[in-house]
Amino acid sequence: MSALVQPLAASPKAAAGGRGATLARNRFYALCVTPSLVVLAVITLAPAIYLLITSFTPLDLTRPETAWNFSRPFANYQEMPADSRLINSLWVQARLSFWTVLLQLLIGVGFALLLNTRSRFIEALRTVFLIPMVLPPIVVAIIWKVLYTPDISPLHWGTTLVGITVPALITDPDWALTAIIVADTWQWFPFTMLMTLAALQMMPQEMVDAAKVDGASAWQMTWHVTLPFLKGVLLVAGLFRLIDSIKAFPLIFILTEGGPGSVTEVTNYYSFLQAFNFSFLGYSSAITVVLLAATILMSWAIIRLVGWGQHGE
Amino acid sequence: MGQGHLGRRQLVLGGAALGAGAIAAPPVVGQSRPFAGQTLNGAAFQSTFFEYLRAYFPEFEEMTGARLNFNTQAFPVYNQRTDLELSTRGSSLDVINVTFIYSGRWIGAGWLANLSDFVRDANRTDPAWDAADFVSGAQSAMQDARGNTYAFAWEAGAMLMAASRADLMDRANIRMPTTFDELLGACEAMHGREGLSAFVADQLHHWNWIPYLMGMGGRVFRDPPENLTPTLATPEAIRAAQWYADLLSRFAPSGVLSFSDDQAMRTQIAGRANFRTQAITWLVPLAKHADSVVKETVRYSLMPAGPSGNFPGSNSHGLGIPVGSRRKELAWEFIKWALSKQMLNRIVSERGYPSVCRRSVITGDAFKSALTLNGQDVASLYLQVLELGGRSGYMKYRTVPVFPQVGDTINRGIARIATRQQDAAASMRQSQQDAIQVLQRAGVTVDAG
Repeated sequence: MSALVQPLAASPKAAAGGRGATLARNRFYALCVTPSLVVLAVITLAPAIYLLITSFTPLDLTRPETAWNFSRPFANYQEMPADSRLINSLWVQARLSFWTVLLQLLIGVGFALLLNTRSRFIEALRTVFLIPMVLPPIVVAIIWKVLYTPDISPLHWGTTLVGITVPALITDPDWALTAIIVADTWQWFPFTMLMTLAALQMMPQEMVDAAKVDGASAWQMTWHVTLPFLKGVLLVAGLFRLIDSIKAFPLIFILTEGGPGSVTEVTNYYSFLQAFNFSFLGYSSAITVVLLAATILMSWAIIRLVGWGQHGE
Repeated sequence: MGQGHLGRRQLVLGGAALGAGAIAAPPVVGQSRPFAGQTLNGAAFQSTFFEYLRAYFPEFEEMTGARLNFNTQAFPVYNQRTDLELSTRGSSLDVINVTFIYSGRWIGAGWLANLSDFVRDANRTDPAWDAADFVSGAQSAMQDARGNTYAFAWEAGAMLMAASRADLMDRANIRMPTTFDELLGACEAMHGREGLSAFVADQLHHWNWIPYLMGMGGRVFRDPPENLTPTLATPEAIRAAQWYADLLSRFAPSGVLSFSDDQAMRTQIAGRANFRTQAITWLVPLAKHADSVVKETVRYSLMPAGPSGNFPGSNSHGLGIPVGSRRKELAWEFIKWALSKQMLNRIVSERGYPSVCRRSVITGDAFKSALTLNGQDVASLYLQVLELGGRSGYMKYRTVPVFPQVGDTINRGIARIATRQQDAAASMRQSQQDAIQVLQRAGVTVDAG
């Protein structure tokens, strides 16, 4: 009994010593992490705060007196609802994001399911499909500019040969946004394909075997086993693509410059014009702040709605 | 023997002389190559002028001892980058192209060095350099209201009309159009002949369309530079916009709304499009470019006139020095060298450059010979346009600081009409509203209503 009491009596001391060690360890960890946090704050948080501050000023590069003018801090935000080009750009952005994310997910998953077999030929084919994704965005834009320019396009040359006249897609208001969506999808569906393939190759064989034993058809297997397993990965891939689609720039800059008219003018591009063509940095910052807030809200809502899935369970 | 033998006195004297020479030598070398070891950073948009001038850069480097780092970019890219760079008052650029549509903005914001100070100083500028020799029409965009000069023009763009297939016109008994109506008629008659598009233009409508707007009695601003109220939704502007958009949608090649300057030029050079109204720089290659298949068939004329007169566009681009440059003296040496009478005469006679701004060069034999194109005296057309623009001042609209913003709304307005997204009235009303919004954002007061 006394042998038992002895250690128990000593335990408060031991506990105090343990707490001290834990505190020291935590302090050490904090010390190690601090430089990284400081760097992170300087390179991400500081510009974001500057962006927010600028959005409360009418900063115009040609008028230096506007730099720290906070006399009407919400003027930029109040101006937005009346800016028809901005409203239009939000609608264009929504359509571009919806279609590119949807198509990239569908095509990416489709190709991943088809290519999820082990053979040398298929492995080589996978590599080929990844090429668009690793090309610099400007190169992709130039490839599509050539394809969409009737004078030099093999696409137009080919269709003319078979007697079909295709309009100049990037200057036709009915086709310009579709042309951008096609080019963006071509470049980025390999991303969702790659993520899906990686997930598929980690899928437990027991799940597949169990479904087979239960007599599941190929379609049932895909719908009830594979897709639920992929839910989390698809959510991550979709979010990545959604955020990237909001940042869409090179394709629009090279192919259409937001035109014809404002048919392909997304919010990101409109904000760029305001800042770098017109020098309205204050207004552009306000647009960017709204865009950033909308992106965060949308991501949060999608995660809440879809959930992270049962991946790995 | 005694003559060939150096005495101690001669040796000492010789040594002293050598020492004195060694001490004196650096300033002498320094004066002949005063900028040795320095690097001059320059930037401009891509143009044949800088392509030609680049070939002579080694001469400047040899003369000054400085190294030249001169970059050129596409027109919009250059303007964007330089605009941003100037706004920081940084020192990364020493000599820049002062773009016509940005000149008012850059000068007004105090981003450029006053070159009048350099010209007035006889130690910096030999009076024989003759600053007054630059054509006043080209220089007016490079000056402020007090007459101070911030750049010297290297290019004066004068808008002309060129027809690449005058042979087809002759066969159809069609002469070069002198009015808007005749142009429309000629386009209708020519379109489709031998696969030809009757008209071509690049996507810079805020340059290409304005002569048609003014020809029909319209204008961009109410009274620039004092009153910058946009006047884009007037009946004249709506009529002109519809007329020009029709020209593009009915007679231009497929995809014309995305054509760059160069693409439009190459369409003409290949004989696939006939008429174009554009600055001379883009029209001369029809007669001179190695790839041109229309050298023997090209014809030039003045821009056609509208019911209210003839308003061919004229512009100019100059070389200036950013106020933040730390090598202003070297930059000024470069400007003097690049735009000297001798250098411009060489570029004209050796390369055939068509857009110089020195009167003495324009009226010289070399220029006249260089601009005799397919047997036509294009030099005299060029001078006529420069005089038209300089005399009446109708180009003032273009050098106001807010033109880039308003120009963008014009581009989009014309594109909307040409692609039938909106009719002319609705589209120009939209452009007017957008223009007012951006002007107010820029702090410009516009008239009510």
